[in-house]
Amino acid sequence: MAQDPLHVLWIEPGFPGRLGGVADWLTRLRGYRSWFYCHTAAPRAYWPVSVGRGLEVETFGVGGAARDPAVAWTRTLERGLCYAYGCWEVLEKRRPQPIDLIVGRSSGLGSTLFTPVLYPSAPVASYLDYYYAPHQHDLADEAGPETPPSYYYWRRSMGAIDLLDLEQASLGWTSTAWQRGLYPTEYQPDIEVFPDGIDTDLFLVSPWHARGVGPRVIAGRTIPPGARVVSFVARTLDRLRGFDRFFELARKLLAARPDVICVAAGDPIVRRGLDVTFHNQDYFAHLKANHRAVDLDRFWMLGMVPPRTVAELLAASDLHVAPGRNYPVARSMLEAMGSGCVVLASDTPPHREQLKPGRTGLLVDGRDEGALVETALKVLADRAAYQAIGEEAAAAILETHSRDVCLPRLAERFTRLVETREARR
Amino acid sequence: MNILFLHDAFPAQFGRLALELVRRRGWSCRFLTQSLSSCPTPTSEMLEALEIRQIPLAAEHRSSEGIPWPQIQGHFLEQCQAVAEAARGSPWPRPDLVVAHGGRGAPTVFLRETLDCPIVVYCEYYFATHRRDISYRIDLPPAEPALFFPRCINAPTLAALVDCDAGYSATAWQRETFPARFHHKIKVYFDGIDADLYAPGPSSRRIGGVTIPEGARVVTFVSRGLESIRGFDLFMKAAKRIAAARPDVVFIVAGGEEIHYGWDKLHTGQPSFKQWVLSQDQYDLSRFAFLGRVSPEQLAEVLRMSDLHIYLTAPFVLSWSMLNAMASGCVVLASDVGPVREVIEPGVNGLVEPLFDTDRLVKTALQVLGDLGAYSPLAAAARRTVLDRYSVETCIPPLGDFLERVAGGAK
Repeated sequence: MAQDPLHVLWIEPGFPGRLGGVADWLTRLRGYRSWFYCHTAAPRAYWPVSVGRGLEVETFGVGGAARDPAVAWTRTLERGLCYAYGCWEVLEKRRPQPIDLIVGRSSGLGSTLFTPVLYPSAPVASYLDYYYAPHQHDLADEAGPETPPSYYYWRRSMGAIDLLDLEQASLGWTSTAWQRGLYPTEYQPDIEVFPDGIDTDLFLVSPWHARGVGPRVIAGRTIPPGARVVSFVARTLDRLRGFDRFFELARKLLAARPDVICVAAGDPIVRRGLDVTFHNQDYFAHLKANHRAVDLDRFWMLGMVPPRTVAELLAASDLHVAPGRNYPVARSMLEAMGSGCVVLASDTPPHREQLKPGRTGLLVDGRDEGALVETALKVLADRAAYQAIGEEAAAAILETHSRDVCLPRLAERFTRLVETREARR
Repeated sequence: MNILFLHDAFPAQFGRLALELVRRRGWSCRFLTQSLSSCPTPTSEMLEALEIRQIPLAAEHRSSEGIPWPQIQGHFLEQCQAVAEAARGSPWPRPDLVVAHGGRGAPTVFLRETLDCPIVVYCEYYFATHRRDISYRIDLPPAEPALFFPRCINAPTLAALVDCDAGYSATAWQRETFPARFHHKIKVYFDGIDADLYAPGPSSRRIGGVTIPEGARVVTFVSRGLESIRGFDLFMKAAKRIAAARPDVVFIVAGGEEIHYGWDKLHTGQPSFKQWVLSQDQYDLSRFAFLGRVSPEQLAEVLRMSDLHIYLTAPFVLSWSMLNAMASGCVVLASDVGPVREVIEPGVNGLVEPLFDTDRLVKTALQVLGDLGAYSPLAAAARRTVLDRYSVETCIPPLGDFLERVAGGAK
């Protein structure tokens, strides 16, 4: 099946975000010419190598409600429209040409919504993240009776931008079957599952995982010989990804074993609006202030670090913990598996889709602190006994989640989309 | 059965339906609404038979009039919240069924938090990004929101559709405007024309202080608002030439100066599309009677005296007024667009011409006015069409059955 070079307009609120890696791979390895329009770009250390070599990054400003740091929940859609309009304004001025395909990830912000005004014949492929269930999943599973009705109103209103995106798109696309299953049944047949994969050149089985040999260095710090490293990685260290659970687990492990070092990588500021309690707050600071102290000599906070540092951490990890709530699987969990880590994850449907318990990872009830501690201690006590799990995880990722496996399929789909101009309207 | 009707205005689409359900089936029909409408005006019978509660507006509530287009959705969500809170605090018994408008005023999106009964949405219309409705009149000066608003206007409609148990549209054309993925949920039930009120008969030939001279031919034009989507400007173009060709023609125009759809104010830079149209050309206004908004009884009287009813809509929701005119036994000359074609079979129960083709509109109108007798079979057939397919008597029983089925768990 053809994987032709295409002119693609990529749109996402942030760069590289989710699509940056995909755009990079397709630009480098399939000859794409890419324009990536975003509102904010991460520091250059986070940019993929093809920037300036076929992948051009442009930023757009936003006005109105999108400028406010926070808006009332009723104005969420308005905020998204302001992003979409901001993107359109810059596109209208610069008019990159030609455009064969538009690939967008609105992430709740509807960024591609107005692009057909300028490119009416280019099909739109929309990457879909997450469709909110009013009373289920993420932190809603734990909402108590004190939760105000407006919390559920907000959740019920959040899907509107995705529905608009889906109506406009020629292709709806998401990474896992679990994510597709969240969408209304009327839309599911039109949403295709394409894992976007991980960079298995970067996240590969390390000498430590293969042969148990070092040295192990994480962000310039050397791991003492004989130490056990327990890792946690998330874009932001929040409850959605189970950072609260990791924090408690770490305290117990540090107390139980003097050779343990726990390392967390991620932004301590909660960026996801889904955690309404701690949004825009330093959640690590909250945990420290409200719980007994943690030994910071053995609890390393790396902050937000570039992929290479994450790779160092995972390459050195003896146990990777992914105790998140019911929420789309973190790419870092797949990266940990690809790196040959033993992964201990919360037993949720999205994790079950990726991980075979006892074969490619370990699953326990994320709410069961005792079970998490017990399982973690078992792994740390007998690393060799669990090495096969890490090896099998790495093999599985190479087979199913390597970008070199996933993205050719996506490239074929994009080619077909452009050829047939599958406009639904 | 207890039905709770939700619409931002009363009676709008539901008042008459509810009244008929009370009369014919003995059901209890209650309304949560934001305002009492003047088009149509609620009848005293409606006000007696139906329980109506106005939703208290929040202190920060704003009218949707003049709100920038990106803020409309937030306004809609505030409305939905107000409805959900009103339903939560309502002293009324739990309804067996909620029937609600599924569009901008769609109040059902948060209702599942409050009520656990089936929800039916009235699927009036799904807006297009081009070649229909508010995007159709590309002959007018462009309006800035036209590029953007049609791409987000359907958000509440989609949210309501996803969440509802079933929906219904008044016509097959309206149903077809919705994405095909939802067609399985949407049935077609017209809500019924009052064929007793709108019926042929003797006319006083006096209306709104205007007396129609003996022997004069009457051409009527009716629209809730005199606006571009309903072709008011195109009607005036044709009317001017008809007036010039026949000195015996009087034009009666019923409709307010409010703009209900689209961007006529932005197209023209003026608050009244009617005034803008009148300022664009010289018209002998002594030949026109502009009645403004009229009551159903006045409208029936207008239509009884009509020799030719002109209806020049863009492809959009079919106006009740066209069916009222057909029920009244008018010869209807309409724009040749999908929603009209669903009802009018040209040369059988009415006439159609291309919307923008003034030459043909005028020619056909003059043919009718020149030989009324030759076209009277069309008028009779028009009334038969309404009696057979669109009258209250015909439409309410199946619509009532549908609501009963959904309330009982069937879809």
